[in-house]
Amino acid sequence: MSQIYDIAVIGAGSIGTSCAYYNAKKGADVILIDAGDIADSTSSRSDGNILVCDKQPGFDALFAKASQDMFPGLEKELDYNIEWTQKGSLYLTETEEEFEIASRFCSDMKQCGIEMRMLDHKEVLEDEPYLAKDIYGGLETISDGSVYPIGLAYAFALAAERLGAVLSLHNPVVDLKKEENYFSISCENGTILAKNVVNACGVRAPLIGKMAGLDIPIRARQGQILVSEQTFRVARRKVHEFGYMLTKFQSGDYERPVSERVKRNEVAFVFEPTASNNFLIGSSRSFVGEDIRSEIDVMQALAERAIRFFPVIAGIKVIRAYSGLRPFTPDHMPIVSGTAIPGFYIAAGHEGDGIGLSPITGKCMADIIAGEETFMDLSPLSFERFSN
Amino acid sequence: MEKQRGLIYDGYPSREEIVSANGWPSEERFARGPVAIAECVQEIPCNPCEAACPFHAIKIGTPITNTPRIDEDSCTGCGSCVAACSGLAIFVVDKTYSESEALISFPFEYLPLPEKGDKAEALSRAGEYVCEGTVVRVMNPKKNDHTPVITLAVPTDKVDDVRTMRRLVLPEPGKGFENVEPEGVLDDDVIVCRCEEITAGEVRDAIRNKKATTVTEVKRRCRAGMGLCQGRTCGKLVSRILAEELGSAPDTLTGSTDRPPVRPTTFGELAGTKKEV
Repeated sequence: MSQIYDIAVIGAGSIGTSCAYYNAKKGADVILIDAGDIADSTSSRSDGNILVCDKQPGFDALFAKASQDMFPGLEKELDYNIEWTQKGSLYLTETEEEFEIASRFCSDMKQCGIEMRMLDHKEVLEDEPYLAKDIYGGLETISDGSVYPIGLAYAFALAAERLGAVLSLHNPVVDLKKEENYFSISCENGTILAKNVVNACGVRAPLIGKMAGLDIPIRARQGQILVSEQTFRVARRKVHEFGYMLTKFQSGDYERPVSERVKRNEVAFVFEPTASNNFLIGSSRSFVGEDIRSEIDVMQALAERAIRFFPVIAGIKVIRAYSGLRPFTPDHMPIVSGTAIPGFYIAAGHEGDGIGLSPITGKCMADIIAGEETFMDLSPLSFERFSN
Repeated sequence: MEKQRGLIYDGYPSREEIVSANGWPSEERFARGPVAIAECVQEIPCNPCEAACPFHAIKIGTPITNTPRIDEDSCTGCGSCVAACSGLAIFVVDKTYSESEALISFPFEYLPLPEKGDKAEALSRAGEYVCEGTVVRVMNPKKNDHTPVITLAVPTDKVDDVRTMRRLVLPEPGKGFENVEPEGVLDDDVIVCRCEEITAGEVRDAIRNKKATTVTEVKRRCRAGMGLCQGRTCGKLVSRILAEELGSAPDTLTGSTDRPPVRPTTFGELAGTKKEV
């Protein structure tokens, strides 16, 4: 009879590697399984933002803040350079109306304890000198930061391995059966037995769910990114348009003054400087299955929108375009919970927030499996919420 | 329509491309003696010439894909850069050789080598016959690392056109190439990815200690292939190291994923607006 692991985590992205690490830290015998490499899918095609500024006031913001607060200690704890920087972030507003919406959002967030402040026209131009001169104003979030997302997943996986976890990479799961006291997981390289399973497969979570007889409502929401050459410091930290909030949550009546091309690709300007002196330009949204090809129309819209906010970008070169799939749930909140099947857990559906929410997700998942109380009531993240 | 000229149309750079990418010495400078001319118009990650110049007259700087500029006042025409250029794209011209003749020095990697005093057929950048020349010098010291430098005397009015000479003997079919160095394992401190300055040792660390098994997995762990050339230069070397480390055949390894754009292009060009200055 082969070994029965305490916990099999399926999916070695930022969420799965974090779940493996925090469970191993609690002393569990963990195996981390992935069809490919560590950070093979969404986690290697994302940006590295660790944000609270793009969360909704209330539970969403507090959960994200708890995760963000874990980052300053991670580099040392995991003994890996994850390129963590914490310079805050800046939202730009194009019009007076947008500024008003942002001001209300700012005051709601402040009531949740999130440190934010509004910047008027003069202040925002002083903050980032290369900005287009007609930017109406801005909203600064003090605690936001960024990491190298792929490095974060390696850091969690290698630290988990040092704690005794087994990494079973390039080993696709083909079937999963619940036996009396354990799960039998059929993989291409043999069968793995585990008392508990964590489904951390992001956009592929529904496939694993189906093997267990669960219908998980996650869809792939594609996003595209442009990478610049190494260049001078166009902006010192993460800068994005406030319209990003409106496209992310598909909410509100406000119409941005944008071109047809920007509108049809749901493009919202996002600028992220990297540790290697390149910058990334996002963001776009579309539901196109698992297609991760770059679309010229989207690339053009991304470039157009970037130049609108930072005209100086026009003369800088694009060296690469790529796209990734966000695991989208209908209410924009992840699933971090158990299910009706005892021992079967889900940690997936973080949409564009998986990198930032990975530490708290792994920690909570370890608490849940160990039967301990989590730091706050996680019912907004329960799988049960989709059963009605 | 007039036929377009230049590297991508002809296989060799036009005078306009060279002047724009590298500059051209002034007549006043030519009158003072030998001077180096770089004819390197492609933005590739390459800079051995910069380090080869003992007078720091060649400037590439950052990014490494800049084309070389030679400061005509610091350049002494010593020719150290001619053999150092892996693209065989630097020449030395001396228009003060005699009343009627000038000298052109160029890299020449064909055997057999000519000898001093030989007559040779001087050829243009296109490889076409220009005039007869006389070999006045054959330099092949060890530091040239198998790149001999030949100096030809040609009529002064032809020296701007002559860039090489016809090889003396054509090889038998199927012959003509010999390994100048045995194949071997790269030292750990050899730079494999020039754009990001990643060494063979760092690539090996990604494979041995961080579980990389493909070119893409190496790239994500240590940035080899993430720079301006997007792995076009280092991809084969990374494959070779992977094959050595994993004991697999190079042709069974997956290359990195090709992504647009094929060549770096500005955000302005992509957006369809004019490039801002």
